[in-house]
Amino acid sequence: MRRREFASFIGPSLLVMVGLLVLPLIRTVQWSFQEVNYGQAGTFIGLSNYTQALGDPRFGRAVFFTLLLTAIVTALILVVGYLVAIGVNGLGKLRPYILGSMLVAYVLPGVVGAVSFSWLFNSNFGGVLNLVIERLTGQELLWFTDTWPNRVMIIAHTVWHLLPFSVLMILAGLQGVPKELREAARIDGANALKMHLWVIIPTMRGIIGFVCLITIMDVLRTFDSLIPLSPQADAIGNESIMFYVFDNAFRDGSQQLGLGSAVNVLSILLILICLFPFIRDLLKEAKAKA
Amino acid sequence: MRNRTQIRTGITAMVIAASLTSLTACGAGSRTGAEDATAVECDYTMPEGETTVNVLAYNSSAIDPFTNTMVKSCTRENVTLKHDPIDFSGQVTKTTATLSGDTGSYDILETYGFAVPEIASAGSIVPLDDFVAEYGEKYELDALNEGMRSALSYDGKLYALPMQAQMYVMAYRQDIFDELDLTAPESFEDMIAAAEAIREQGDIEYPIALPMSATADVSTIYQAAMNSTGTDFLDAGEPQFTSDGSREALEGLKSLLPYMDPEVTTFDQPSVQQQMFNGNAAMAIMFSGRMNDLTLESNSPNFDKFGFAAPPSLAADAPYLFSRLSVDGWAIPENTQLDKDMLFQMIASSVGEDASNASVPAAYPAREGIVTDESSAYAVAANETIAATMPAPNDPFSAPVTNAIRPVLVEVLLGQTEVEDGMQEMQRLAEETVSGS
Repeated sequence: MRRREFASFIGPSLLVMVGLLVLPLIRTVQWSFQEVNYGQAGTFIGLSNYTQALGDPRFGRAVFFTLLLTAIVTALILVVGYLVAIGVNGLGKLRPYILGSMLVAYVLPGVVGAVSFSWLFNSNFGGVLNLVIERLTGQELLWFTDTWPNRVMIIAHTVWHLLPFSVLMILAGLQGVPKELREAARIDGANALKMHLWVIIPTMRGIIGFVCLITIMDVLRTFDSLIPLSPQADAIGNESIMFYVFDNAFRDGSQQLGLGSAVNVLSILLILICLFPFIRDLLKEAKAKA
Repeated sequence: MRNRTQIRTGITAMVIAASLTSLTACGAGSRTGAEDATAVECDYTMPEGETTVNVLAYNSSAIDPFTNTMVKSCTRENVTLKHDPIDFSGQVTKTTATLSGDTGSYDILETYGFAVPEIASAGSIVPLDDFVAEYGEKYELDALNEGMRSALSYDGKLYALPMQAQMYVMAYRQDIFDELDLTAPESFEDMIAAAEAIREQGDIEYPIALPMSATADVSTIYQAAMNSTGTDFLDAGEPQFTSDGSREALEGLKSLLPYMDPEVTTFDQPSVQQQMFNGNAAMAIMFSGRMNDLTLESNSPNFDKFGFAAPPSLAADAPYLFSRLSVDGWAIPENTQLDKDMLFQMIASSVGEDASNASVPAAYPAREGIVTDESSAYAVAANETIAATMPAPNDPFSAPVTNAIRPVLVEVLLGQTEVEDGMQEMQRLAEETVSGS
């Protein structure tokens, strides 16, 4: 490929990436050291935004909740996603319909899905699940104001929303496991559990790593779903980092864009730390294949 | 191969169905249909070139009649008025953004008494007194309520043209009250007594409903309770969170909590309406703009069982009712590039008599004489309330102080912080906000 041809192919993408990713990132880092109001030049204030964020117990609670949510949801997505993918893989003609109906949860806008999901637990709006759980357990759970019931609801919604993607990915990965490998394992006497643990899952390591990577990124930036699911997120310790940024930087005409930028920079570092093992593995795998 | 085609067809069909569902959901909140809006005369000097006037106004049944009248009546020849649907929270955020630079995205802004002092003191909106002097007679602006004009004024100047006001009104289940021989409560003590009687009857466990959403309404409720004692968040710029009025307000609100849904701190006004629609509550206090919905048969099987009254006072001897007067009006941003004279005539035409008449009963128009006792089921209650609501003081720090104290207020009401500790903490946060440190 000629240099000019290469440039014409890569140029538009590069332009979009610089415009929509690199420049905003540079501006975010710059603002994180400034006091900034809309439409006005920022004033340099050193590390004040960082010390304010790191010294705010509310930010600490937001980081803890976000990491907890990420760890639990990622684990559930992997386990449940794998089990559902195996189940769907064994289906016959129904497979496309089951897969299609599962995707509804994934393609719905986050906030629309979250509002519908919250109504399942809200006695004021019918609350079918709330009613069933109340009948079964005899307990009235406060899904929106008690910390742990609210966390369970948020986790359930996040898994419901993200599961279809992981099922699709794992299902695609299952098609790539060579039949010969399975047959060899069966001849060697491997039962179903051993087959999955020692043959199928190791073969799909790349796919599983990719699902982890995407799930972690998605859950770390949880924001809009909390508006209907956790209306008093801050008061009960269920506020995500992105929600904390919104609340400080924008809500009710707030103009703490510098503080919001500093928290965003800290979030980027946190995301990189969380993703480091997966990025490293993916790069290693790509290198080995090359 | 056949399998793959089946998978593709199935997934595609489901994804299209889901996308259509979500698109329908996205459009469900749009209430900008101005087709049946009132047409009024909108007589401004036509600009030479094609002109678009961008209007920022949240959608609600009380505001829409005025917005729609303006958009329909003032769009002609070279001029197009553009209004996109938005909720109240979005309006607040966009107002801050559009007023910040040398140029903004909007040319006409819906604003309200609580926000006016802050943006007026910053010089972000235009004083309207000269326009009122010039066009007062043409648009009969003298008929706009003096108190509401005062609520939208700062430092002696009018900064927004009032269109309508909202005040707290109490809705209660007349059938239940009659059955138990109860009358509309006149104090928090009466409310508790009524709630106990209703609870004893056995049908409703949590008879009282108030909008106390932790992210917004709770501070308005607290301010209304303080106002009932004759105090406000700020007095001549001094925070009043350690005052007796503040203590009485917090203790009064806490005394109602056992009779409200345990999740009341997640309830905004639509949730409270829903409680009344469902029959889960027997008494609710909300802004008057929410009352019309209760009287519509399509919303609730109880639509004809509601009675309306002025809200109670915090205590029997309190000087004012447990209420807030929120006045909405139109403002012109300083940074608009369009002719301000033209913009003023647009907003003046939208608050005329015809538009005001069309807004009843959903709204309580600023124009005098429009709301009579016969205007709606709750008109008497609204008129009584407006006469006994503490006048809202105008202070540029009201809005930032409210945002600063809200998390602590929630902690106090949830019992996570003691009343005295909460008062001290709110005072500290308010003083920091006022001093800018």
